[in-house]
Amino acid sequence: MVRVLFLVPLGLYAQHSDTSLVNPFQSPDDRARGAVFFRSQCASCHGADGKGSGQGPNLTLGTFRHANSDEGLFKVITKGVPGTTMPGFSMNGREIWQIAGFIRGLNLSRMAEQAKGNAAAGEALFQSQNCLACHWLKGAGASRGLSLASIGSRLSVGEMRTALLEPSADVAPEYWHWQGKLKTGETIKGQRLNEDTFSIQVLDSTGRLRGIDKSDLAEQSLERKSSMPSFQGRLTEAQIGDLVSYLTTLK
Amino acid sequence: MKLLLLFSIPLMAQVTPERLLKATAEPHNWLTYHGSYSSTHHSTLSQITRENIGNLELKWVAQMNSLEKFETTPIVVDGVMYLTEAPNNVIALDAATGREFWVYEHKLPDVTYPCCGRVNRGVAIHGDTLYLGTHDAKLIAIDTKTGQKRWEATVADYKKGYALAHAPLVIQDKVIAGTAGGELGIRGVLAAYDAKTGKEIWRFKTIPEPGEKGNETWGGDSWKYGGASIWLTGSYDPETNLTYWGTGNPGPDWNPAKRPGDNLYSDCVIALDASTGQLKWYFQFTPHDEWDWDAVQTPVLVDHEVNGRMRKLLLWANRNGFYYVFDRVTGEFLKGTPFVKQNWAIGLDERGRPIKAQGRGPSATGTVTYPGVQGGTNWFAPSYSPVTKLFYVNTWDDYSSTFFAWDQEYEQGKWYAAGGVKAEVQSASRDRLNRRNPKAGYGATRALNPVTGEKVWEFRTAEVSEAGILTTAANVLFTANREGYMIALDAANGKLLWKKYLGGMAASSPVTWEANGKQHVSIAIGHAMFAFALRD
Repeated sequence: MVRVLFLVPLGLYAQHSDTSLVNPFQSPDDRARGAVFFRSQCASCHGADGKGSGQGPNLTLGTFRHANSDEGLFKVITKGVPGTTMPGFSMNGREIWQIAGFIRGLNLSRMAEQAKGNAAAGEALFQSQNCLACHWLKGAGASRGLSLASIGSRLSVGEMRTALLEPSADVAPEYWHWQGKLKTGETIKGQRLNEDTFSIQVLDSTGRLRGIDKSDLAEQSLERKSSMPSFQGRLTEAQIGDLVSYLTTLK
Repeated sequence: MKLLLLFSIPLMAQVTPERLLKATAEPHNWLTYHGSYSSTHHSTLSQITRENIGNLELKWVAQMNSLEKFETTPIVVDGVMYLTEAPNNVIALDAATGREFWVYEHKLPDVTYPCCGRVNRGVAIHGDTLYLGTHDAKLIAIDTKTGQKRWEATVADYKKGYALAHAPLVIQDKVIAGTAGGELGIRGVLAAYDAKTGKEIWRFKTIPEPGEKGNETWGGDSWKYGGASIWLTGSYDPETNLTYWGTGNPGPDWNPAKRPGDNLYSDCVIALDASTGQLKWYFQFTPHDEWDWDAVQTPVLVDHEVNGRMRKLLLWANRNGFYYVFDRVTGEFLKGTPFVKQNWAIGLDERGRPIKAQGRGPSATGTVTYPGVQGGTNWFAPSYSPVTKLFYVNTWDDYSSTFFAWDQEYEQGKWYAAGGVKAEVQSASRDRLNRRNPKAGYGATRALNPVTGEKVWEFRTAEVSEAGILTTAANVLFTANREGYMIALDAANGKLLWKKYLGGMAASSPVTWEANGKQHVSIAIGHAMFAFALRD
């Protein structure tokens, strides 16, 4: 049974330069079946919304750690990922394609909302608001904040609005404020990049990577707060829309 | 020590049942997964002390070929270390140098059904034969000298979700092993085989059939897919001939409405007659479990004074966040107390049964419950030291998970959990970059009063640990953590004595043994086995 179903997609190759298989089961019915299988087989670890948990990674980003193509997704689901807790799943080929199609759709639905502003006006705002003082884009800017290269593929319209209006609402942990005072009296501010029981690894505000032995610290603090200023009240609703429109063009 | 070594020479290569009974009298070896039948993870070796531990140096590293999770705890027999590598390889190496003698490679079907990685935790030995459980649910006997297979027995049908992950336990002339698969709708099995021939001698099903006592604790047909797996090696008391094993969660994990009742014998310690497999007593830690809190912990057997009287005790720090003390002969519950933050139970009644708090079970919108899904502790080994008379356990404290439930029907070979979990603390792997909110919980190596469960000291760590604990007669405690450190603490007060960054997560127990008269300590970290001894 499995073998027969496997044979169907083997003949179907993508019409672009690579020769990897494309998902042959992408009808709305297949998507609906995929949703059912996702709930029973995948959601325990990846979350009912696919956004991940302490057990499995976020599957809504459109990119995957262990697969780039439909065929790669198919292989990951059937074989699992050795060295992780991701097992191989014993479903037939069609069922696996249905799950893979549903997982692809998680990103598409997340990114479905279209920006409604004026992108050209948004680009002008991007310059006038001096975003490159902290962010990096197209060979210019700074590295204090998130790189904006391909930000239009990574954040949805809603997520961009949140980042502009309430930057601390969903700030990634590597951008949290860290501050430490050494026993020598020196104060260090920066971003916490990694931490264990005995040491902490930071990017300090002067742009230096530093490994610090915790026994050398007199005190330290970590604040779940972004350095990004809120544009709430600084820009009008229409201007926020324009800026978001511009950012969505950065693919 | 010298005398013992001389005495053991004629017996070399033959690990008789008598030697296993007196494993602690051969501290230069580590003869079983837990080091001895009482599973105290304690050694009388004392060359490495609190004073000289600064001279500990790396003697060898054995790199594995497999990059899958490395959960092996080795055995060491007369200068040879036997360990397993994922998924199902066995390696014999020279304990003095780390050089390999042979590798046994078990060929698995393309698809097997591990819940959480194709892990294997180790082997057992009887005579000159090793025993390995596999992911296609087989028990394999292997020649210690050549690595060649002698026989294999099929414990269960792997296509139905069964697998073997733990090191078998040899008792007299029997090899005992059980089946994992609690997330795949299996019905747990623990079975004993003739060590020479592989013939099955007895079989205990962890979920009773209709007509058997306990089946009434499962509503409808739920007993057929109820889990109660076995995935960690048990203990044995030769005086009573009882063998103790912990059983896994009932399935489906997070939708308890699918299985009305207490769900015996899930989340239990079962005490079986080692000769017949008959159940002598049981205790269920988490009746009608709603959180996936397998009672898959090491049964620690200790003789200790309670209220002025020596008692034969069973000590158990359970995944559900409570620490328990039992009379291991009768199963009498003596004490139970939380050892980490928990909010699912108001307390335990006089017989040890939890009085559940309202509304802490999984829900459609998610319920935040302490401890989180991996519990207050889990399968990694605790230790008991007869020198300090303390119980040591690696704990995960002050952390929660959000538990979700949904509906799902059983289908053979498919994941059957009927719910999910979210948690800020990673459940079973190491984040290379630890950027977790420190407020989301922490790990701690704790020393508990074995009778009262009260905390005597703790050593806190930023991340949680999946490593076991080893204590020695010199009051040195070895353990490790997910961050990549192997550490040594003073067993008396928890003070840090020594640390070494080895750069990968530990998910097994440190063990100690001798090679060329020198005490070694070894641990599996990342994808390699590391061995340390004092500088020459």
